[in-house]
Amino acid sequence: MDKKEFYIKSYCTIENGVIALNGRPVFQDDEKDFLKFIKSAYKSLEIGYPKFYKMDALSKLSFIAADVLLDHEKVMPEDEKNIAIVFSNKASSLDTDRKHQASIEDEEGYGASPSVFVYTLPNICIGEISIKYKLYSENSFFIFDRFNAAHLHQYAESLLKTEKADEVLCGWVDVDGESYSAYIYLVSQKGEIQHKEEEIYRLYNN
Amino acid sequence: MGRGVAITGMGIISAIGNDVAANYKSLIERKSGISRIKKIETIHKDLLVGEVDLTNKELEDLLELPSDNNYTRTALLGVIAAKQAVSNAGITAINDKKTGLISASSVGGMDITEKYYYQYLEDADTQKYIEAHPIGDSTQKIAAYLGLEQAMTTGISTACSSGANAIMLGARLIKSGKLDRVIVGGSDCLSKFTINGFNTLMILSDDHNTPFDANRKGLNLGEAAAFLVLESDELVEAEQKEVLGYVKGYGNANDAFHQTASSENGDGATLAMKKAFDVAGISTDEIDYINAHGTATENNDLSEGRAIIRVFGEENVPEFSSTKPYTGHTLAAAGAIEAVYSVLALQNNVIFPSMNYKTPMEEFSCRPQLDLKEKEINNVLSNSLGFGGNCTSIIFSKV
Repeated sequence: MDKKEFYIKSYCTIENGVIALNGRPVFQDDEKDFLKFIKSAYKSLEIGYPKFYKMDALSKLSFIAADVLLDHEKVMPEDEKNIAIVFSNKASSLDTDRKHQASIEDEEGYGASPSVFVYTLPNICIGEISIKYKLYSENSFFIFDRFNAAHLHQYAESLLKTEKADEVLCGWVDVDGESYSAYIYLVSQKGEIQHKEEEIYRLYNN
Repeated sequence: MGRGVAITGMGIISAIGNDVAANYKSLIERKSGISRIKKIETIHKDLLVGEVDLTNKELEDLLELPSDNNYTRTALLGVIAAKQAVSNAGITAINDKKTGLISASSVGGMDITEKYYYQYLEDADTQKYIEAHPIGDSTQKIAAYLGLEQAMTTGISTACSSGANAIMLGARLIKSGKLDRVIVGGSDCLSKFTINGFNTLMILSDDHNTPFDANRKGLNLGEAAAFLVLESDELVEAEQKEVLGYVKGYGNANDAFHQTASSENGDGATLAMKKAFDVAGISTDEIDYINAHGTATENNDLSEGRAIIRVFGEENVPEFSSTKPYTGHTLAAAGAIEAVYSVLALQNNVIFPSMNYKTPMEEFSCRPQLDLKEKEINNVLSNSLGFGGNCTSIIFSKV
């Protein structure tokens, strides 16, 4: 068996108006409306990626979390890298599905909008991150009732041990109506926090 | 790198024939299955599609289904093709070995859902079809019809690369020893949903599709199903099976470009082909024929053409053709029917001509094969490039 050990190199959370990187807040805003909150975060963090404005709520949440983390790790789009992405959530793309359905039912509107429709899948948020960072890597999106560290742990270990990826960006990105939460972490051969279920839960519950 | 995974049976139903022999005949006789829409009630009657010749009723009768069945057209086509494949592989006791089924579909039971959607609440007779909507339903029906018990069955839906991904997953399950035998392929029927969807995207041609032509105007949709039986070396040896060909290499990659469009330079397709060569352990000059995805959309043919050049070099591209002018673009079934065509190319040492081509593209000098060509064919590369940059390439080999 491969005895290689893996570590959580960095992690980022977005919850209750706070964006935190490795436990330290990098942005805070009391704004309760998620879309307004995430837009002011985008501006304040000086991300400068206009495609952001076209994204749906789940993609905006996932994209900002990933960008804060990958920027901190100095990952550049032009670099050769093999970072897999394994995300999960509970609400799938329901938040956008509802908007899409409402646009279909709106008799006075113009009907379904392709720009909303393309986001009616949860894994599109992985696509947005892959497009910005030019990640041609393995990716997967799972729907769970609640945060499932065991599954993410096993999946990431498998990708790393079989050398399908050099690093894995894992986590939970969920948007459902008013509520939102993101917790993503980068699993790597380097780092100080051991890649273990308990540690994944510990950071999640922090 | 090993020999790859043996193909011991195949079945197909498409606009150019209801079985493998009929499909082959149409391919070598340059008979297109594209015509005006006949079987679907739509305001777009003028559109050209590749329809399977048989009605749902005729398919139900062929399968001797009870009158209260709730088969959608996707399930009907899928069962027909899978049944042929199993019979072709000479399988009599399907549960004797660890057997699985991987079935791709993008449209599932949408043809029936769109027909009865507004009746479902009141009309009890139509309600049996509600549960036939998801793609898992056609997969389950195929498994049940084949008599598979407690088998691994799963569906794959990755747009136009679904069928190829089903083959790739199946090959990996055999290689890893999880299964002894797996039936892999895909099925997609035509529906208003896909016709209207692609029409809205403005990528449907109002004429016969013209892959790799400078003046290409888009694709024609088609419906089809195809399945292949893959078996482990141990099983092939124990039962002295005739091997039709091998799944030698496969690769899947994303394009990291756009939610729907393919990148102009074909990044995903390039990566998928390179991965397939890595798995196959052969070099690009060993490919004798490329069965291109070649949908005849502006975007695909440019992206795929550039990717092929990046992998092979502009001077060294082998003969290539697209079979979409025969069948239309059959979406999730495309990778599966083109797998059957690739094996037919290997078996018969023949390259199927690309039809409807007139004007060379400005972007590169490569031209598709325009005449039926006989030559020794040992390795075929088949591309299936999906919306959203889900790109898959498979290498089929004689040995």
